[in-house]
Amino acid sequence: MKLPSLQVPEFIRKIKFRMPGRTVRLIALLLLLALSGYTYYLDTTIREAFEGRKFALPARVFGRALELYPGLKLTRERFVDELKLLGYHEKPDPKEPATFTFTLSGVEFTTRQFKFGDGTTPSQHLHIEFEEGAVSLLQEHQASDVDVPLVRLEPPLIGGIYPGHNEDRDLVQLKDVPKQLIDALVAVEDRKFFTHWGIDPRGIARALFKTVTGQRIEGGSTLTQQLVKNFFLTSERTLTRKANEVLMSLLLELHYSKDEILETYLNEIFLGQDATRAIHGFGLASHYYFDKPLDRLDLQEIAMLVGMVKGPTVYDPRKKPDAARERRNVVLKEMVAQNVISQQQFVATRDKPLGVMARAPSGTSPYPAFMQYVHRQLQRDYRDEDLRSEGLRIFTTLDPFVQQQAEEAVQKRLAALEKARRLPADTLEGAVVVSSTQTGEIQAMVGGRQARYAGYNRAIDTQRPIGSLAKPIVYLTALEDPAHYTLITPLDDSKLVWKQRGAPDWKPQNYEKTFHDKVQLRVALAHSYNVATARLGIDLGVERILDKLPLYGIERKPPPFASSLLGAYGLAPVEVAQMFQTFADGGFRTPLRAIRAIVTADGTPLQRYPLNVEPVSAAGPVYLLTAALQGVIREGTAVAMKNWLPPEMNVAGKTGTTDDLRDSWFAGYTGDRVAVVWVGRDDNKPTGLTGASGAMTVWGEMMKAVQPEPLDPVMPDEVEMANIDPASGVRYDDGCAAGMQLPFIKGSAPAEMAACPVVSGGEGASVTDGSGKALQVQPDGKSVVKPAAASEGGPEANKKSWLQRLLN
Amino acid sequence: MSNNRAVMALLDRAEVDFTGGKRDAAGAALERALRIEPRNPWLWHQLAQVRLSQGQYAQAITLAKKSNSFSGKQHRLQADNWQLIGQSRIGQGNTAGAEDAFRRSSDLAQQSQAENGAAATSVTGNLN
Repeated sequence: MKLPSLQVPEFIRKIKFRMPGRTVRLIALLLLLALSGYTYYLDTTIREAFEGRKFALPARVFGRALELYPGLKLTRERFVDELKLLGYHEKPDPKEPATFTFTLSGVEFTTRQFKFGDGTTPSQHLHIEFEEGAVSLLQEHQASDVDVPLVRLEPPLIGGIYPGHNEDRDLVQLKDVPKQLIDALVAVEDRKFFTHWGIDPRGIARALFKTVTGQRIEGGSTLTQQLVKNFFLTSERTLTRKANEVLMSLLLELHYSKDEILETYLNEIFLGQDATRAIHGFGLASHYYFDKPLDRLDLQEIAMLVGMVKGPTVYDPRKKPDAARERRNVVLKEMVAQNVISQQQFVATRDKPLGVMARAPSGTSPYPAFMQYVHRQLQRDYRDEDLRSEGLRIFTTLDPFVQQQAEEAVQKRLAALEKARRLPADTLEGAVVVSSTQTGEIQAMVGGRQARYAGYNRAIDTQRPIGSLAKPIVYLTALEDPAHYTLITPLDDSKLVWKQRGAPDWKPQNYEKTFHDKVQLRVALAHSYNVATARLGIDLGVERILDKLPLYGIERKPPPFASSLLGAYGLAPVEVAQMFQTFADGGFRTPLRAIRAIVTADGTPLQRYPLNVEPVSAAGPVYLLTAALQGVIREGTAVAMKNWLPPEMNVAGKTGTTDDLRDSWFAGYTGDRVAVVWVGRDDNKPTGLTGASGAMTVWGEMMKAVQPEPLDPVMPDEVEMANIDPASGVRYDDGCAAGMQLPFIKGSAPAEMAACPVVSGGEGASVTDGSGKALQVQPDGKSVVKPAAASEGGPEANKKSWLQRLLN
Repeated sequence: MSNNRAVMALLDRAEVDFTGGKRDAAGAALERALRIEPRNPWLWHQLAQVRLSQGQYAQAITLAKKSNSFSGKQHRLQADNWQLIGQSRIGQGNTAGAEDAFRRSSDLAQQSQAENGAAATSVTGNLN
C-alpha cells in the first residue's frame, strides 16, 4: 500500500522549532498513529482476505441411499462394495460407526448417524445375512438381537457444488480431515502451531540473520505465515514483505481460532497445477492425485500430500516420482520422530508405491455426466442466490451400482465392437440413460466412453436422428383408434412415393430394400418396416402424430414432413428416455428427475421434488403397444437380445438405425427400468452398426448385470385377450391349442371364430415360431404358455429358472 | 396392504407424519415405500390422499387413477380411489365430474360387497 505523503502544516513546524521537548513527544505520537493506521490497514486487509477464503460450505450432492430390508435383491459382494463406497473400513469388532466385518454368510457393521431431509437416522450396529442373491436376515445388535424391517444406509457423497466460486473446489471441514494428516502437517511444517501466536520468533531470528548476512532469504514460516503468504501469492521476497507477513500473522491469530486458521489453511494451500487450473487445498488434491476423498486416504498417501506443501512442483508425483517418494518418506520419518506414528507403521509404509492416478480426473465427482444434469436442473429451478445458502444438501437419484454397470457395459461393448468389426480403436462413442419405470428417477447416466472424465455429455447434449425409435408413437396413435386398428390389422408395405410441398418426393425404403405387400401391424413394428409405417403415419396424419410429441415430454419440434414419421429428427438420449418412460408406465408421464430433495444445513427442507404424474395416453392402447414392442425382441429386429436376457424377462424395446448406419439406438424397458442407449461417432461418420448390432448389445450387457424385474404390466379393464392365428390373423376358440393370445381393446378382436385346426401329435402340440417354443404374446406374462405346451409353465416357474440361471 | 415389512414400516411412518401435520414428510415416506413396491396400488392410493389433503387436486386424481391401474380386481380399493377422485374434483370446482366419480365409487363398492358378502368393509387404510 502507498500511504499518502503528509503535508506538514506551517504551524506544526513552528511548534517543533520552539518547543523541542514537546516536539519529540508529538513526533512519537504521530509515528504511533501512523503505525497504528498502518496496522489497522493490514488488519483490514488480512481479515478481508481471510473472510473471503472462508468459503461458504459447498452444497453437497448425495446419491440415493440404499434401503436394506429382508427380501431385497442384493448379494454380499455388492453390499460390501456399497459400504466401501461409503468409506467403511474393515475391522474385527465393528462397533464404531463406518466399520464392518465379514461373518460366515453375511456382514456385521455399524452405520453412521445421518441427517436426511426427513429426519435423522441414528447410528446402528447391525447384522445382515444373504441367501440366494437376497437379504435373508437383518438384525440390530442390542441387549439381544432384534429383527429390523428396514435400514436406510447413509447416501454416498457424489460431488459438491460451489455457487459463486470456481466449481472445482473440494472444501473440507476440519472435523472431516483425518487426524493423521493434521499430525503430519504440524510435525513437518510447524511443530509449535497449537501454541505460538502466529510466528515462531526463533525461526524469524534465524531467517533475519541469514538475510542480513547476505545468505538467501528463507522460511521459518509457521502455518499461519504460510497461509498469509498464500493469500497474497507473489514470489517477491523482501524484508518489508516479511515484516508485513509477520504482522498479518499476529493479527490473524488475534482474530481467529487455531481451528479456523487450520481449516482455511487446509483448503487454501497450493498443491499443484493442472494446466490452467490451480489445485488448492487438500480436498481437491486428494481427488487430483488419488481419485478419492480425503477421508479415504492411506497413511503413505497422506504423507505424500503433506510433503508436497514444501514445493508442489519440485515434488510433483506425476512428473518427479522419485523426488516425491523421497520427500514422502522424509515426512513419514518425521512423523515417527514426533511419535505421531510407530516405527512399525513407518516400516510398513515406506516401501509402498506412490499410488498416484496416472491421469488426473477432471473434476471432483466420479459421475460428471449425472452431476452436469443435476446442475442443469438446479439452474432451471433456482436462482443463484437460493443456492448460496451454506451447506445445502442435495439428495439425488443416482444409483452407483446401476451407474457402474452402465459405464462398464459401454466400455466393454464398444471396445469389443471395434475389435470384432476392425474399426479403428476409440472411434465409437456411446451414451446411456437409465431410469426407474414408475418413479421416473434417473439411476444412471453415461455421457461418453470415458465416463469418469467430464466433457461432452452425449446423454443430454447430442441430438442425433432417432430413426425407428420414432415409430412407437405412430403405432400408438393407430392403436388408440380400435375401430380401425388392432395388432393384427394388415398394413400395406408396398412401394410408396409421397409428394409433399416444400420437400422433395419421398420414397421410403425398408432396411433390406424389399417390400412386403400386406403385413400385420404388430409384425410391421417388430421388423421395423419403414414403408408400412410411413403409409400408416400418412393415413393417420403427419401433424396429428408429431403434435403428440410434447405429451411424451419431447419439447423439440421435428420438421413437419412425412420423413419425421421415421425419425428423421434429432433427440438427445435423455429425451428418448422420457418418451419410453411413458410407454413403460402405462401411459402415465412422470417427468424424469435427478433430484429428490434439497435441505439446508440445519435440516430444513428447502424444496422437495415430489413425484409428479400426468396421464397422457389411455392405458389400453399403451398395453397393446407394449405387447407389440415385446414382439420386437421375441421375433423382430432385436431377437438377439436372447443372448443377454432370457425370454421370460418379456422385455419391450425398439431398435433404431439411421441412414448409412451413423446412429445405433436401442430403447427399451423391463418391469422396473427404462433404458436408452446410443452408439455412434462424434464426427457423425458411419459406424457400420445397426441398432441391434450396436446399441442393443450395450443395453443387454448392462441389463443383464443389473438383474431387472420381468416386464409384467397389469392388463387394463378395457383390454381382453383373444386366441389368434399368427399367420392368417383368424381367431380360434380360446380352448384351441393353435394360435396365440393377443391383447385387443374390448370389442375390437375378430368376431368370427375359425375352426380349430386339427393337429396331429395330440397332447403337447401347438403353433410354434420355428424355434420349437410355444408362442407367447401376452405382455403380462400370465398364462403365457399354452396349457398343452408346458405342463409346468407359469410365471413362477419362469422366475425360478431365471434365478437359477443367474446362480449357475 | 403389503407382505413386505419394510413397506409396512414406511406406511406406519407416513401415518405418524401425516397425523402430526407433516404432510411433505408423509409423502416422502410413501415415495420411499413406492421405490420398494412400485406397483402396490395401496401406496399410490395413500399418496393420492396426501396430495388431496395438500390441495393438489390434479395430482391426487392422477395418483388415484394410477392406483386403479395397478388394482386388478380390488373393487373396494377402486371404489375408494373414485371417492378420492370425486373429492378432488369438488376441490377443483367440477361438481358434475365429482358426481360422476361418486357414482362410479358407489357402483364399485356395491360390486365389491356383492363379491365379498355383506360383511365386507373398507380395507383401505385411511390416513386420517
